[in-house]
Amino acid sequence: MILYDYILSASCYKVRLLASLLGVELQLRPVDFHPGREHQGAELLALNPAGSIPIFVDGDLVLTESAAMLTYLAARHGPDWLADADARATALQQQWLAFSHRLTAELGGARLVEMLHFNGDLKALQSNGIAALRELEAALFARRVAGGTFLVGDGPSIGDIACFPYVALAPDGSISLDPYPSIRIWMRALRAIPGFIEMPGIHRLHELAPDPFAEAPS
Amino acid sequence: MAADTDARWVPIAVSADIPNGTVVPARLPTRMIAVWRAASGDLYANADRCPHRGMRLSHGFVRGQTLSCIYHGWRFGSDGACQKIPAHPAVEPPNTINCGPLPMTEANGVVWGAAVSPAVAPDQFTGHNALRSLVIAASVDAISSACKGRRVDGTIRAQLGGQNTILLMNDYGSGEVQVIALVPSGISAPNGMKVSTALEVLRRTAEGMGDAA
Amino acid sequence: MTTAAVRNAWYPVGLLSGLSLDGKSSLLLGEEITVFGSRDGVPEVESGGRALPVVQRFGHLWTSLGYPGKDLFTIPEADHPDRTLVDVGVVRVKCSPLRAVENFLDIAHFPFVHTDILGAESHPEVRDYKVEIRDEVDEVWATKVEFYQPQAAKSAGGGITTEYMYRVPAPTCCVLYKTCPPRPGEWDVIALFVQPLTEDLCDVWPWMALFDEDSTLTELIHFQQLIFVQDRSILENQIPKRLPLDPAMETPTRADLTSVAYRRWLKRQSYTYGAQLVAE
Repeated sequence: MILYDYILSASCYKVRLLASLLGVELQLRPVDFHPGREHQGAELLALNPAGSIPIFVDGDLVLTESAAMLTYLAARHGPDWLADADARATALQQQWLAFSHRLTAELGGARLVEMLHFNGDLKALQSNGIAALRELEAALFARRVAGGTFLVGDGPSIGDIACFPYVALAPDGSISLDPYPSIRIWMRALRAIPGFIEMPGIHRLHELAPDPFAEAPS
Repeated sequence: MAADTDARWVPIAVSADIPNGTVVPARLPTRMIAVWRAASGDLYANADRCPHRGMRLSHGFVRGQTLSCIYHGWRFGSDGACQKIPAHPAVEPPNTINCGPLPMTEANGVVWGAAVSPAVAPDQFTGHNALRSLVIAASVDAISSACKGRRVDGTIRAQLGGQNTILLMNDYGSGEVQVIALVPSGISAPNGMKVSTALEVLRRTAEGMGDAA
Repeated sequence: MTTAAVRNAWYPVGLLSGLSLDGKSSLLLGEEITVFGSRDGVPEVESGGRALPVVQRFGHLWTSLGYPGKDLFTIPEADHPDRTLVDVGVVRVKCSPLRAVENFLDIAHFPFVHTDILGAESHPEVRDYKVEIRDEVDEVWATKVEFYQPQAAKSAGGGITTEYMYRVPAPTCCVLYKTCPPRPGEWDVIALFVQPLTEDLCDVWPWMALFDEDSTLTELIHFQQLIFVQDRSILENQIPKRLPLDPAMETPTRADLTSVAYRRWLKRQSYTYGAQLVAE
């Protein structure tokens, strides 16, 4: 399984993160997205005419949408992560995967403008991004009231992985996460899953590692 | 706007939003603060600024009974005193290094903070408990008229989602107000959700009122 | 505040490989500038109808709003023909340009911000090193800096104690020389060139001159972008935004002696753009 990858891409990170949580090894092929714009070059356009990354290749299977990559990895290596036990869960999973595209477009769009000099209507991206964060906050509050932690079902699923990175990186696009307590609790739960890996802008939970200054038991 | 020397309790968070072993950002009228709950469950508040390099401590982490800065790992105790500077592990930090503890207290599932210790306890709302906190980009006046509420001493009482709801106001003074909604203790989850939905409607209405408010 | 020292300094404004013939607008010290590439001549920078002085060096285009009294600094070590020169690309950061430089001069944050790459929480100690303001060249230097690094560079296999030298040749530029695993005795060169857009907004242009025959150019770019963007969320959350030159505002330790010298050097030459002189 080959992932055409960029270290600062939250969409690439989704795939690396799920692979790590599932204990699956990916062969990474770094793409010079910035400043080289290699994703717009002949070699990668031949693979993905849309000119986007990530691109995922397994034998003759080529995937160009991160939600599809998450679905494929989970179906092959961790079916629990599909959270598709019944009609309701299956539909909710699709709902969150679709919702994640809004986060990518709005929060991710604001991030590209604010961080990497991309063109875009920053005010509109931020205001739509805040609208999406408020929807997510309300939905996660509802899950807490019902005794849940993650978006669908009892455990984490691909919907959580699809939504998490661009939410966590919202401040990169100058959108504060301070007003969202339920989002904060959800992100913390995801970062605490064994096998979690970070990306630039998303720190690990240092408190989960042993305290290096702890007094040795006498 | 209130002065930073105000001895006045301000509602800053919902208790349940700060689980054991976590730190969150919060606001007093004139400054940002970091509120953290130690592993023991005890809650503390201090300036949201590490005295070393000014990094926000709400981005840090809680280990046991201490709060650490994410930047250089400087570790602070419940009294705000610096206990450890990892770059100099053998050095006992001088007791002048302190992250500035602030008064705080919890009641009715609400966390209250203050710049200076008030003489009296915060208002009690017997029979009510905090449901959720949200930030509304509108004035207190606009929020009050949007929910057709009754203003009582800086709070708003209104019928939301069919429940007697009390809204506590933390006016950031920048066109944004943090609202903490209290609902009758022990209401069912579905009824709590009705109030939560009504709060979302209230926010849309108040924010849509614009200059008309 | 734009003092003479501020206006007469050289600043990076673009990658030579990425200039636009149509011109790209940008900011320098709060003033609008337009940066033009050139098909065969010299790139141009214009501000308010005035052509600004330019220098092409280290893969970047440099300019000044004033009248620089001296040439842009050089990095002689980077001239070695075996080195790979890496244009890392711009990253915008909502922070003071001086905070960006100061963070680059700091090693004590490695275990917490670049965990398991440049530092580990189990090895946080910063041993004493040597800091001086070299008056003959008017630069800040820190030498004999040593730190344990789990993965010091793309070319470093495992954990090693890395030696560094830090050099501040201009107020918004810093150069780091570090142990080069494949070439004992040589130094890898990693530089941070900062373009001050305003006092609390900057474009950061990292650049490297490395000995590394095993990694692809893209891998080298990614490694440096990974490191720098890990710092970005720190830089955007420091209070106050501007770098305090008043010693009472923050609490330095022995590990911070480079930053102490840097602040003193800025103050001495009245370089105060992005700085805060007194506590607010």
